Amino acid sequence: MAEPSYMDCNVSLGYPAAGVYRPCGTAEELVAELDWAGVDGALVHHALMREQSPVVGNRALTEAIAGFERLAATWAILPPQTGELGEPDALFAAMAAANVRALWAFPDDHRYILGRATFGAFLDEVTARRIPLFLPRDAGGPRPPDTWNLVYRLLQEYPGLTLVVAAHGPWGEDRFFRPLLEQYPRFHLDISRYELDCGLRELVGRYGHERLLYGSNFPRNAMGGPRMMVARAEIGDDARRAIAGDNLRRLLAEVELP
Amino acid sequence: MIDSAIAREYLETGKCATCGVIDVHAHFGAFGGIYMPNDSPEQMIATMERCGVDLMVSSGHTALTDMARGNAEITAITERYPGRWYAYLTYNPNYPDLGRQEVEGYESHPTYVGIKFHPSSHRYPITGDAYRPALEFAASRRLIVLTHTWGGSAYDRPELLAEVARRYPEVTFLAGHSGHGQFEECMAVARECANVYLELTAAYAVRGLVESMVKGVGAHKIVFGCDLPWFDPHYAIGCVVMAHISDDARRAILRENALRLLEGRRRA
Repeated sequence: MAEPSYMDCNVSLGYPAAGVYRPCGTAEELVAELDWAGVDGALVHHALMREQSPVVGNRALTEAIAGFERLAATWAILPPQTGELGEPDALFAAMAAANVRALWAFPDDHRYILGRATFGAFLDEVTARRIPLFLPRDAGGPRPPDTWNLVYRLLQEYPGLTLVVAAHGPWGEDRFFRPLLEQYPRFHLDISRYELDCGLRELVGRYGHERLLYGSNFPRNAMGGPRMMVARAEIGDDARRAIAGDNLRRLLAEVELP
Repeated sequence: MIDSAIAREYLETGKCATCGVIDVHAHFGAFGGIYMPNDSPEQMIATMERCGVDLMVSSGHTALTDMARGNAEITAITERYPGRWYAYLTYNPNYPDLGRQEVEGYESHPTYVGIKFHPSSHRYPITGDAYRPALEFAASRRLIVLTHTWGGSAYDRPELLAEVARRYPEVTFLAGHSGHGQFEECMAVARECANVYLELTAAYAVRGLVESMVKGVGAHKIVFGCDLPWFDPHYAIGCVVMAHISDDARRAILRENALRLLEGRRRA
C-alpha cells in the first residue's frame, strides 16, 4: 500500500510575538521542516495575519510563499462594515487571482462578533462558494466553552458553512464537538491536538473519516506528534489517506471562486 | 525525510525493537474533565503493546480525591502486570496523617516505586510543611517523587520545586510537565539540582522545546511520560523521535534515563 500523501491544514509562517522556540520565517525554512517530517504540502497562514492585521498579513503571506507549489495560501477576514479588505466581490476576485482557497477568522484578536449580524451575506457567499473557514480554538477567548459557544451560534446561523475548528485542546473536547459532527455535515476538525489515546480510531469508527484533517498547529506545536499519530492510528488505510491529506485537497478543490 | 533510525522504525512499525519506551507519568481511572475511550487496565496494556512501551508507572485519578481508595486500586491493578506496570502512591497534603499512613503502609508493596504530588489539584504549595512526612519518607527510602509542575502556579511552579529539591537532595524529583509555561525556569532548576529531572508530559508538544532541553540541560536529565490513558503514546513519541536531536538523545529520553532511575527501586 502506498504511503499516504500528507498535507498539513494548520501551519503558520513568521514570528509569533509571544515567542516560539523554533519559528520558520521563510518559505524555504518551512519546506525544509515539511521534508524533515515527511509532509508533502501545507495550507499556510502568517503570524502577521493574526497578530498585526489581515490587511498586512494576507499580503505578506501570499508574497512569502509565491513560487512554492507545496504551500497553499489562506487569508484572514474582517467585518465588511469597515471595508479594510475591500468590498466582498473584490475580495473574492482577489482570492481567485491569488489562488487563496481558505479563510481564517480571529474574532477575539480582531475584536468583532463572528455571526450573521456582522457578516450577513458575506458568509452566505463563503458558504455557497464552499470556502473553508478556519477558526482557532481560542477564537472566542481563552476558555474552551467561549469558543465552542461561538461555534454553536455560528453554525445555527450558517448551517451549511464549511467550518474547520483548528487545534482544539489536547483534552479531547469530544463533549463539545461531537454534537456538531452529528448535526452539521460541513463541520470539520483539524486533529493537530487530538492527542486522546485511541481517540482517532473511535472518532473514525463513529463519525467516519471525511471531516477530519491532519494538521500540526506549527510552529507552536511540533509536527512529529500528529504525524506519528496519524501514521500509526488503527483506522485503516483509506481513512489514513483521507485524513493525512485527501480530505483537505478535496475541500480545496470544491471551492468555487469567480 | 528525517535521518533517524529510531524515528523511521517507529513510523514504519509503531515501535522500536532497540528502544522500548519507559513511561514515568501515567494514570488510571476516569477523570471528569476528559472523555477517555481507552482507560481500562486491559486497554492500557494493549496501548503499551501497540506503541512499544515496555514499562509504565501510574498514579490513580481516584487517589487525588480519595487516597485510600485510589492507592489501593492502583497497587492492586499494577501487581497484575509484574515487570510492566508500577505505581506511585498519591499523597494529599491536606490530610497529612492519612497520607503518611498511605505512603508508609505500602512500603513493601512490589510495584511501589515512588510518590505522586499534585500541589495544584490539592491547592497546597509543595514547599508547605504538610508535605514533610512524605518527603522525609521518600528521602529515607530514596523514592522517586513525581510532582505536577506548572508555570505561574502558586503551588508548584519551578522555583518552588527548586526550594524543596535543595532541602531533600536524597529524593529524585521528576518535574511533571517540566513546569509547563515556565520551561526556561524549570530547565534552570534541572541544571542546578542534580536530583531534578524534566518530565515531558504535555511539554513534548511544544515545538523546539525538546531540542532546547537537550541543548540547555542535557538529554540525561529528561524523561518521558504522556499521561496515559489521556494521551496517545504515539503522539508523544512522535514529538521526541522527530525532534532535531541525536538518536543517542532519543534513546536516553525515551528509555535509558528512566531505567537508570528505577534501578534498585523495582521489586516486581
